[in-house]
Amino acid sequence: MFDRSVHVLASFEWSVIWDSQGALWGGFKHTMKAGVVGIVLAYLVGLVLGALRAHRIPILNQLAASYVELIRNTPILVQIFFLYYGLPVLGIHLDVFTVAWLSITIWGGAFMTENFRAGFEAVPQRLSEAGYALGFTRLQEFLYVTLPIGGRIALPSTINSAISVIKNTSLLLLIGYPELTYVANNIQSNTFRTFEMFTALAVYYLAIVWTLSALIRFLERRLALPEAF
Amino acid sequence: MNPLPEWFRPVSEYILREGVPETLRMAAIAVVASLVIGVVLGTLMTIRFRPLQWLIRFYVEVWRGLPILVTVLFIFWLPAFDVGRHHVQLSAYQSAALALTLWGSAQVAEATRGAVQSIPKEQHEAAAALGFGWVGRQTFVILPQALRRMVPPLVGLLVNTIQNTTIAFAIGVNEVLQAGQRQFENVTSGLTGQPVAPSYAPFLIFGYVALLFFIICFPLTRLAAYLEKRLT
Repeated sequence: MFDRSVHVLASFEWSVIWDSQGALWGGFKHTMKAGVVGIVLAYLVGLVLGALRAHRIPILNQLAASYVELIRNTPILVQIFFLYYGLPVLGIHLDVFTVAWLSITIWGGAFMTENFRAGFEAVPQRLSEAGYALGFTRLQEFLYVTLPIGGRIALPSTINSAISVIKNTSLLLLIGYPELTYVANNIQSNTFRTFEMFTALAVYYLAIVWTLSALIRFLERRLALPEAF
Repeated sequence: MNPLPEWFRPVSEYILREGVPETLRMAAIAVVASLVIGVVLGTLMTIRFRPLQWLIRFYVEVWRGLPILVTVLFIFWLPAFDVGRHHVQLSAYQSAALALTLWGSAQVAEATRGAVQSIPKEQHEAAAALGFGWVGRQTFVILPQALRRMVPPLVGLLVNTIQNTTIAFAIGVNEVLQAGQRQFENVTSGLTGQPVAPSYAPFLIFGYVALLFFIICFPLTRLAAYLEKRLT
């Protein structure tokens, strides 16, 4: 599996990329399927746990903190292996797609929890106090004061986490989920067109990642809080 | 006395003896190389010379934008080539270390640029007034201050690099995860003369691998948070 035939780097063959467009597009769709499900769920996890942490809800705050530390301090690939090979022991058999979205949700959720916690905690105290002074309950205060302002502060960093989630879908190759990297790697090992296939692969990933980073810069300009804050 | 089953002892010892040093050595190489390359590139990026800025920006955005696994596979599968009279074919270990360095140096370059630009302009001017040339100004005045601000993110980079060594699993480097996987195959095949493990073996082995990473990384993330707090 790991021996490589030594061969001359011949001229760049566009036709190899052209011929595998269909397969790569299929891989892209798998990447996006797992990635989008993972990102949406990670946002939900991050919002809820971030709010619990910022408001110091007893017990739940500590549980959320432990979850975040556990996920941030272990490699995501180990988490994927644990879900895929470890859980069946407990009688929990997950298919490849479930492990795919679940693993990146768990990972992304931990990072987004931190993003949202930081955003919510950056909301000036006097604003939430103003909310309470208007007679808001804690939930109302969160929904109408902390969430809109803190969410706005947190948004760019959450998109950064979303980018990382998309990039991490490439690791699903190792459990056989047929995403982009899996497809490209397969074709290059059959055709020995390493340079061509990885160029095409890089174009796909950089298109996704650079688009999202441009979105971050746009939002940072657009959502910048007025100076008065 | 020992709560752990008998088959687990050789497994854990193998992971500690083979996997952990491999992971830590690769992380150390990658972080040091990233630091050297990244600081140089980041400092060069602050020079107002557009073509150079674009070139470094491209380097940073490409290696930061690509998933590390893609870079690892790309470098590993590249056909051997000749540089002058030297025949170059990177081993799996070298390919992974190089990929981690490309990624890490992009992170460091970006952090350095930010840190250098956050140093007040008066510092440059004062150093220039004292007769320092550009190199002297950067080396003795700007970078020592900038690097101080970069310490917390650099500890973060170390944590990420240690975790990212697991990606070298994909090309067969015997880091912690690979060592765990090999032992998992050994104890479940029963071919190696080791006591055959029960079916819950993968749960314990991968749990152990996760625990090892946690023990290494958790103190470092706490340290980074502490340094961050002290700096502000």
